[in-house]
Amino acid sequence: MLHTFLYIDPGSGSYLIQVIIAAILGVGVYFRTIRARIKAFFGGRKKMPDPDNPENHD
Amino acid sequence: MTNVQQHPASFRDPAGFVFEYGGTFYRQVNQVYAQHYELLNTSGLYDALVKEKKLLPHTELDKNITGAPQWYKTLLPEQLPFISQPWEWCFGQWKDAALLTLGLVRQSMAKGMILKDATPFNIQFTGSRPVFIDSLSFEAYDATQPWIAYRQFTECFLAPLLLARYRSQELTGLFQLYPEGIPLALVAKLLPFKSRFNLNVFLHIHLPARMAAKQHSDAANAKKTAFTQQKLASIIDSLESLVRSLQLPASATTWNNYYEETVLSKTYVEEKMAVVSAWLHQYPAQRVLDIGTNTGLFAEAAAATGAFTIAVDADADCINRLYNTCRQKKIKHLLPLRIDITNPSPATGWNNAERSAFLQRASADITLALALVHHLAIGRNIGFGQLANVFHAISPYLIIEFVPKTDPKVALLLQNRKDIFDHYNEAAFVQAFSEKYNVLERTALPDSGRVLFLMNRKT
Repeated sequence: MLHTFLYIDPGSGSYLIQVIIAAILGVGVYFRTIRARIKAFFGGRKKMPDPDNPENHD
Repeated sequence: MTNVQQHPASFRDPAGFVFEYGGTFYRQVNQVYAQHYELLNTSGLYDALVKEKKLLPHTELDKNITGAPQWYKTLLPEQLPFISQPWEWCFGQWKDAALLTLGLVRQSMAKGMILKDATPFNIQFTGSRPVFIDSLSFEAYDATQPWIAYRQFTECFLAPLLLARYRSQELTGLFQLYPEGIPLALVAKLLPFKSRFNLNVFLHIHLPARMAAKQHSDAANAKKTAFTQQKLASIIDSLESLVRSLQLPASATTWNNYYEETVLSKTYVEEKMAVVSAWLHQYPAQRVLDIGTNTGLFAEAAAATGAFTIAVDADADCINRLYNTCRQKKIKHLLPLRIDITNPSPATGWNNAERSAFLQRASADITLALALVHHLAIGRNIGFGQLANVFHAISPYLIIEFVPKTDPKVALLLQNRKDIFDHYNEAAFVQAFSEKYNVLERTALPDSGRVLFLMNRKT
């Protein structure tokens, strides 16, 4: 494995908070996926804008 | 080597440092970073980011200029015309800088790398585009780990943006007090109660602030739980959708409608533009500084001549509007910055040398000081001699407008105060500036009593 630089302090609890946030967001994604599937079942899907396209940055 | 000057802000990261040699800036890559540096190239990440103009391009040199034993490579980056400090940015610039950083994290992850830090100091604006300048910020990505720079991102980008969105754009300046990041406990205290009802603000600000206060003892246990790339991607998405959703409340400032106001006639503006443009073409400049730029009308004219133009104003809303205009019109060479010329950014950081003062960076070929003198001389009690001294240090040429006491704008400045400005007149103005400058041209502007001067500094 490569040597990684811990030259910045990630902050106490920064690891834990990311675990918690990812878990909460995961629950959201779960419900959104179900909602999207239901929507897709009843009608067409909306086209999502490409987030990497700088033209979409306002 | 004796002529190598290490940049005073480039000493924290062991991966390498920036130095100046013979008037050019270089970046040294140290051996300890070699594998990450090679991965940046072999993964194709460098090429992709440079192609999209997200990363400052560099040329690799195999010459050890510094003579340091830990040397691995020397990089010659594309030289930047100007270094701005984050506390000089408007809301739009902060937002674009934050989105660029998150975009880089996402693109890096796709190529097996990640950003090891997330500070606004890694970003500069070349005109109205943000570009990432620290090519040593990328490191190999370990998908079982969360993002090491997560907290730094929230404190350095989210905090100023949210304070601007919920309280006042001026509060981005708090970053100058906390250049390592605004503590989340302070941010949570400053944000209004309603901000807690935004899920993303709650997750990234209020929740961590509360957890830090409670000093969780199970933080060590959490390390046993494996993190995944998918989890990190969801955090990046959440941060990105939060930043993207941030908008300033609409507002009209004192100066926003300056040129649209009836008091200044169309003939006046047209004639002023004709004279200023003619002078700008007569004395071609590489760099122009427009002080008190307002709507940026004349800064745009300067940029149109091909000069790199720095347009400053004390009014954050003006600068934000100008920045958005530049983005929409895709104007190159024009950099709007929020700077109050009566209180320009000081030198800050370690040894007072990490971030240099604005006037140290502000050299130009031509300075524009249009419809400005009365604000400084009457509004701020700064004498003509003082003005001449400061402008003299910036550029060899000066285009300056004198606004007489009979002008309605001056009357507005004097309406609530005693007129102590007996010596505020054109003759005294010319006399004071003649100490430092040769007056090359004088043109009276129609319908206003205002006068434009072109001056050349005495050496």
